[in-house]
Amino acid sequence: MICICSEPENQRKFLDRKDGNKLIRFIKLYKIFVAQFLKNLMEYRIDFLTGAVSFLIGQITNILFITIIFSQIPSLAGWKYYEIMFIYGYSLLPKGIDHLLTDNLWSVAYFIVRKGDFDKYLTRPINPLLHVIMEKFQFDALGELITGIVLVIYSAIQLNYVPGAEEVLVILITILFGTLIFTSVKIACCAIAFWIKKSGSILQIFYMSSDFARYPITIYNKGVRFIISYVIPFAFTSYYPAAYLLRGGNGFVCAGKTILISSIVFCISLLIWNRGISAYESAGS
Amino acid sequence: MIEVKNLKKEFEKTIKDPGLSGAIMSLIHKKTTTVKAVDGLTMHVDEGEILGFIGPNGAGKSTAIKMLTGILTPTSGTLKINGQIPYKNRKEYVKEIGVVFGQRTQLWWDLPLVETYSVLKEIYCIDEAKFKDRMDFLNEVLNLQEFIKSPVRTLSLGQRMRADIAASMLHSPKVLFLDEPTIGLDVVVKDNIRKAISKINKNDKTTIILTTHDLNDIETLCERIVMIDKGKMVYDGSLYHMKETYGKMREVIIALNNPEEIKNIKPDKKFGLTADDYDIAKKANSVSMKFNSAKVEIPDMLNYILGTVSVKDITVKDADIEEIIKKIYKSEVKPGEAV
Amino acid sequence: MKQFKSVKRTYGAFVNAGIQDFIAYKASFFGFFIGEIFMCFVMYFIWKAVYASTGRTDFMGFTMLDMMVYVFLTHISGFLIQTDATFSIASEIKDGSIIMRMIKPVNVDLSFLFFEFGSKIMIITCVFVPVMIGLEIYRYITLGYVAFKITRLLLFIVSISISYLLSFYLNLIFGYLAFYLLNIWGFGVLKEELIKFFSGAVIPIAFFPGVIKKVFGFLPFASLTYTPVMIYMEKYNGIKLIFNLSLQIVWLFAFIAFSSGLWKWAEKRLAVQGG
Repeated sequence: MICICSEPENQRKFLDRKDGNKLIRFIKLYKIFVAQFLKNLMEYRIDFLTGAVSFLIGQITNILFITIIFSQIPSLAGWKYYEIMFIYGYSLLPKGIDHLLTDNLWSVAYFIVRKGDFDKYLTRPINPLLHVIMEKFQFDALGELITGIVLVIYSAIQLNYVPGAEEVLVILITILFGTLIFTSVKIACCAIAFWIKKSGSILQIFYMSSDFARYPITIYNKGVRFIISYVIPFAFTSYYPAAYLLRGGNGFVCAGKTILISSIVFCISLLIWNRGISAYESAGS
Repeated sequence: MIEVKNLKKEFEKTIKDPGLSGAIMSLIHKKTTTVKAVDGLTMHVDEGEILGFIGPNGAGKSTAIKMLTGILTPTSGTLKINGQIPYKNRKEYVKEIGVVFGQRTQLWWDLPLVETYSVLKEIYCIDEAKFKDRMDFLNEVLNLQEFIKSPVRTLSLGQRMRADIAASMLHSPKVLFLDEPTIGLDVVVKDNIRKAISKINKNDKTTIILTTHDLNDIETLCERIVMIDKGKMVYDGSLYHMKETYGKMREVIIALNNPEEIKNIKPDKKFGLTADDYDIAKKANSVSMKFNSAKVEIPDMLNYILGTVSVKDITVKDADIEEIIKKIYKSEVKPGEAV
Repeated sequence: MKQFKSVKRTYGAFVNAGIQDFIAYKASFFGFFIGEIFMCFVMYFIWKAVYASTGRTDFMGFTMLDMMVYVFLTHISGFLIQTDATFSIASEIKDGSIIMRMIKPVNVDLSFLFFEFGSKIMIITCVFVPVMIGLEIYRYITLGYVAFKITRLLLFIVSISISYLLSFYLNLIFGYLAFYLLNIWGFGVLKEELIKFFSGAVIPIAFFPGVIKKVFGFLPFASLTYTPVMIYMEKYNGIKLIFNLSLQIVWLFAFIAFSSGLWKWAEKRLAVQGG
């Protein structure tokens, strides 16, 4: 289980206690939220559907864009049409999972802190970060997820690509830790709101920079390549794993690098978050 | 139970001049100033006590409460509640406290109320049997059953407040913080809520810290009050003691046969009262006169009035707590000084 | 004249408030702006790779330079015509504060419009002017001569102004949907995506095959950013230019008529509901 603690001295206490219980508690809580969400889904199904359809249309526009380009050229920077599609689809998987599970972080950046509503999370005996994340389940993400899955599978078929056991393992690891990269970037950016009250736009900038990662990074210049590999490492959410799968290489290194990089970003983001909480000023008199 | 020593909290605040030029200037150069929201608060609260925590708007009440509940980290000073330091062992600490902010809700907006309670049950690790007991008790005290199945967004303000209090009491906290629990409610609902708070206090021996602007809350619930102004304590003591010390003002309400006669009432001239000790105001159908009964005996005043004007009806009212507080705000009592 | 003065005074206040609001929320605006600039650079690199792969200087009638002017100008135009009318009116309908506008002696849609003028003034000075200067410098360096034409800039300004009004009324209409819908958010995103697709923000309309290109060109979405950008890039000339400008105006009047009809209906509905 991922352990998110506010201070090192707390960390010990956290581990001393029955970890099994903690996990069961989270699963129970999550079940309540998801069940409730499904009930809401029926109530507001038009809203949910439009959200998902909108994200789907956004993706279709981009795919059409790539397709139109490829109607004129055989390959882009040495990548064939279906390879580009595969990378593009792969980039949507961690992005979509993160969107599905941690969308409430946007609210932290935009209003929860500014309006002082974060008080609630601080008066509860569970980790505020997990608490915030758990509260919302974003159905809109299915637009991205479905497009991603369809694209990856369809282009894999077109490329006659069949992953072996090692590749499947790399896929699972990179999707999981790629999601962690997205979540970490969101945590770090929304935590800035603890100092400046509203950090939605900062989050927006960083989040949008993930768009760089949905194309082969070989098309960019050195500066951009460095940034999206080691500063805001979105390249590890799609290009690096997809390139390994399509072009081969050392799977162990690919997965290992993703784990390492995402863990580093995650730790940094937790550090910022925890600093942020102690700087939190609430609102009103 | 609660031990606070020289607690301070400072904020950086940006100053913006009004108007368009001010807005543009703030783009170029940001001016900041340090605001001392809480400035050296020292107090002690015993177990089972209900403490009224009062002060004018912007006095630093909420900031103090937020430090006591572990939401804000103090700039300096020490703070120990229930043997713990709120902002340090926050997660452990908050298990033992309950918090209600009257202005915002901790309930899940779209969920039926009962679901909020089952979520809280998991969050606070309350076991099934205890949860049931607790729900029964809270149901009885706060009458939740009539709306427990409705989504929170459909509740009225009074229902929502009852639901919020129940939510904060579910885990039987040792300390309960109520920040304006009766704000915006009608008289009947207010009364119900006060009764419920009192019952909870008696039943669980819960220590309660109550901030409010409604002094009836204080009168019905609190034996002791702490008043702060501009971040500093201006009064700490029993309500009774406060009334004794400052409560010498009396209000006389006089209905005149001829309203024109109001100008003839001049006890300030006769008894030599200063503006601090005397005030007169014309109301819709009567005249309200306030005076310090330490300076003029009540019978003397009544005799004077009856001898001066033709009176239809006359009533004398006891010291109004609001008057007392106004007076304390005005007088510059040094913090910590016994009053 | 007197009437004009009073209008200036009444709505001048809204413009003023709009500028202040923009400054207060400048951070969030520049966030979106930088985000969009990111997108432009992604496009820049993609197109660079595309032109490198074709080995030609021309891609469906666009040179690399054309493409860059197109990408940046489209994004910047998107900013100029961007309006919050949908969400501001929808949220006012939701919480009932729209009534506060109705009880003031001002026209409801004009009060929204003038409020936005304030932020537009800021966007023009802080974003439009610097980006245009940058773009022209880029053009000069690439071409070796000054391609900038003042007549084209003026025509662009005329066209983009119509686009903005068109976008404003389109958004107003979406905002009024809040009378029906529980949650306007999903529809807002849907609208954005549709506009992005049909207005040529991602794929220039010229790249679509024959009939689709014609149909898209007639739709009101093309009047939003595509027409002004094409005018500036000298892709629309003579008859074509006049035709497209007229088309913009026709759509604008259609939208104004539709939105005012919708508002009259909504007003009645408000009266029936008793606010």
